[in-house]
Amino acid sequence: MENRMTTEKDTSLDLAAWPALADPIHDSQRCFRQVLGALSEPGKRQTLTPFQGSPPHLGVALWGTLLALCDLETRVWIGADLDSASLRQALTFHTGARLVDDPALADFALLTPESFDPATPFAMGSDIYPDRSTTLLVVVETLVNQLGWRLSGPGIAESRDLNIGDSAGCQALMKRLGANRASFPCGIDAIFGAGDQLAAIPRSTRIAGGPSRPTAATEVN
Amino acid sequence: MNGYNFAYLDEQTKRMIRRGLLKAVAIPGYQVPFGGREMPMPYGWGTGGVQLTASILGADDILKVIDQGADDTTNAVSIRHFFQRVAGVETTTATIAADVIQTRHRIPETPLRSGQILVFQVPIPEPLRFIEPSEQETRLMHALEEYGVMHVKLYEDIARYGHIATTYAYPVKVDDRYVMDPSPIPKFDNPKLNDSPALMLFGAGREKRLYAIPPYTRVESLDFEDHPFEIQSWEENCALCGSDHSYLDEVITDDKGGRMFVCSDTDYCQTRRGEVA
Repeated sequence: MENRMTTEKDTSLDLAAWPALADPIHDSQRCFRQVLGALSEPGKRQTLTPFQGSPPHLGVALWGTLLALCDLETRVWIGADLDSASLRQALTFHTGARLVDDPALADFALLTPESFDPATPFAMGSDIYPDRSTTLLVVVETLVNQLGWRLSGPGIAESRDLNIGDSAGCQALMKRLGANRASFPCGIDAIFGAGDQLAAIPRSTRIAGGPSRPTAATEVN
Repeated sequence: MNGYNFAYLDEQTKRMIRRGLLKAVAIPGYQVPFGGREMPMPYGWGTGGVQLTASILGADDILKVIDQGADDTTNAVSIRHFFQRVAGVETTTATIAADVIQTRHRIPETPLRSGQILVFQVPIPEPLRFIEPSEQETRLMHALEEYGVMHVKLYEDIARYGHIATTYAYPVKVDDRYVMDPSPIPKFDNPKLNDSPALMLFGAGREKRLYAIPPYTRVESLDFEDHPFEIQSWEENCALCGSDHSYLDEVITDDKGGRMFVCSDTDYCQTRRGEVA
């Protein structure tokens, strides 16, 4: 009986590449607190080290975030360049999350700046229920607090710089997040992950400049 | 701790509340609906705050619980014991030593620091509720930023009493957008909401709403140019520690009109008196 079960379930799921949280209760609590810290202090980097291993293309920070926040009540949309049978299988196996093709239905959307299309109709919530929106989980190459976009607003004492890279995709994504202010309280929140580093830009954040902006302040100094 | 999950709530419920909290910090002052659970205590005893605390608490967090500023009153003692029992966490009465502080109706006098989380117990989260009983209407009023009636209510105070007579649960505007009920804290504590280095979370168990003020967020108490917001002040100093700048409770000492004023924040008062080394 057990043998047959194993053979039937013998799939390509690679648990070494897509590890579970070793201690689901306390590890997910720790991951959550990092994500909460990231969203309540936009642009501030958090280090997530929930487990050994490196989930392909995602990085441990975002994989840990998914494991900590997703369950059978959440719907996840996966961008084309991250989409793979093994990711779908791993996510469903570990969390039970439902995968959706319609971005407007997604609680979380997994994507990269390269594949980001500003026209993708993610849920922004309504004026009455702005919380019914999609949270972007964005895989980035770099996540540093210098020479980037200048963030201000709730959670930031004065201003904070965050650089997620200066590719066209990054520019488009940050432009889209900057547009959140015009639709506030509707909008989309973004959580960035690079390896074990995590930072976030919620819809309440004001975004100015960009990595290619003339860094007047630095030049003066 | 036997027979319970860590911190009492099951993981599914915690995740639901956690996802709600992330929305709450992203939309400061907006009331996020959540699937409130029945807790082993009656509504009105802080079931909202307890559910938030249970969802954020970690095994290595140090917890402080206060009720009207005091660590040693019924509500504070029972909630502290509850978490000692179901989460096995370390507890403290010292504001500076705590990572998570659950509070009923006060903000500690000791300035909070970055990294601390203050969890408020909220009876009625909707600041417009006594003006407009319909939830549908108040949601629409928040959506349309239709807050004129709130000023009318404060104005009626001025018309009747000559000053704004609202002394607790004094409405605030968060980041220039949402009008929010800061829970029944005395208006004395309202300035501490503004630009605080600590994260503030609010949970209403019966009404099943949670909301948040991220650190370093602008929080203004509603007022008028000619009737600016003012906090309470006392002619007396604390009878125990001599403080002339903390929130004082009046304590009746006999049946002959004897009374004294003491700090409502017991940790602050004891620290000042040097009782806590």
